[in-house]
Amino acid sequence: MYEERFDKRKFDELRPMEAETGIIPNANGSARFKIGNTEAYAAVYGPQEVKPKHLEKVDRAIIMCRYDMMPFSVPDRAKPGFDRRDMEISEVITNSLNRAVILEEMPRSMIDVRVYVSQADAGTRCASLTAAAMACADAGLPMRDLVAAVAAGKIGDSICLDLTKEEEDFHEGGATDVPIGFLPSKNEIVLLQLDGKVSREDLKKIIEIGKIGAAKIYELQKAALKRRFSNESQS
Amino acid sequence: MVNVKNYDVVTPGELLSDDGRGGPGTYLEGTQNVFSKYFGMVQVSDRGVNVTPLTGVYKPHEGDDIIGKVIEVSSKYWVVDIDAPYYTRLDARDINFRAELDELNRYLDIGDLIYARVFRIYANKAADLSMRGTKYAKLPSNMIAKIDPMKLPRLIGKEGAMINLIKNETHCEIVIGQNGVIWVDGEEENKAIALSAIKLVEEEYHNPDLQEKVKELFEHVRRKV
Repeated sequence: MYEERFDKRKFDELRPMEAETGIIPNANGSARFKIGNTEAYAAVYGPQEVKPKHLEKVDRAIIMCRYDMMPFSVPDRAKPGFDRRDMEISEVITNSLNRAVILEEMPRSMIDVRVYVSQADAGTRCASLTAAAMACADAGLPMRDLVAAVAAGKIGDSICLDLTKEEEDFHEGGATDVPIGFLPSKNEIVLLQLDGKVSREDLKKIIEIGKIGAAKIYELQKAALKRRFSNESQS
Repeated sequence: MVNVKNYDVVTPGELLSDDGRGGPGTYLEGTQNVFSKYFGMVQVSDRGVNVTPLTGVYKPHEGDDIIGKVIEVSSKYWVVDIDAPYYTRLDARDINFRAELDELNRYLDIGDLIYARVFRIYANKAADLSMRGTKYAKLPSNMIAKIDPMKLPRLIGKEGAMINLIKNETHCEIVIGQNGVIWVDGEEENKAIALSAIKLVEEEYHNPDLQEKVKELFEHVRRKV
């Protein structure tokens, strides 16, 4: 039974968050997103010429995403390099951004997205996607909406928002982890994965609770982007 | 109803109005709802809502004067990098003199800087350059500064006030490309001063009395010398 959360949060409460943009001077756009002990840095380069050339699409841009965990991000050292988990997460981030960025406006070009996780405490793919979406907006890409992603799930019998690593490894009754990505103002789901076992009704509840969390993250993203130009809007 | 006012900063996906009249930088969802497409600034006019992006790489427009770098020499054209999403082409016919085909590297070689004009943009966003005209030329290799093209208006100032100030104070020759590349020529120390002034403009571009700041910088330098 899971009656109270390990960190004394409410079941529908997010961990404390931080967001900031324009942190990497050499990138066209960059962002940092921190939720609890999970922190992701994203940098966007481009649009630029496609390399290698054979990947070029004549009618739209392509997004090349690379997700990487830094060696010191987890208690046991993460082996540097691109492993199968990184490959999967890069793919889901690319697919989500493909829905958010209007690729048809930049034919024959490539957008390079790099995401690095400097601290991991569950929900890294959601934090990475959130940071990557902010970096894309910061790079001046045409977008339909930002992407706000959050993990929700079921631990024991309770439905929880924004799981930590400790909760993901909860054994009595089992833990289910559902990372969800939203286009908040479109009410559209761009990422939905499920790790564990859950009934159909519970999944609906999990998505509902995720939507509420994503709305809060979306507000933070907007505020972080606008903060860069707050001087200008006052004058 | 319009939800925003002039000079508001908006992020992608923000609902701007529901009267179905959106200009550049917006997109329609359904028939009525106008959303922002860029992280940018709003301009409201009688014809609808526009959004100008505040960040991003240079997007070429026809008629822009730019500084580019030759990166490839073919038998009939040069390929030029102008810091835009795509490389551009300068045809051998679009220069002031008649070039000997197949020997184009006699005139412009890889790595040379040129001051040229974007004279045509195709439907697939490819651009062609032209160097016809008296003001376009090859630039001797020299100090180059790069600033965000969105910040260029501040560097130029009202009717060129800011850039003339820098030119007069440092006795440097400065050429500005609309793609954000700036070419500086002069004595070594003066070039360094001009570059630091340009950098100051880039960092403090939202400061309302920027000109005072730049003047202070020159004053500070003069006292040191």
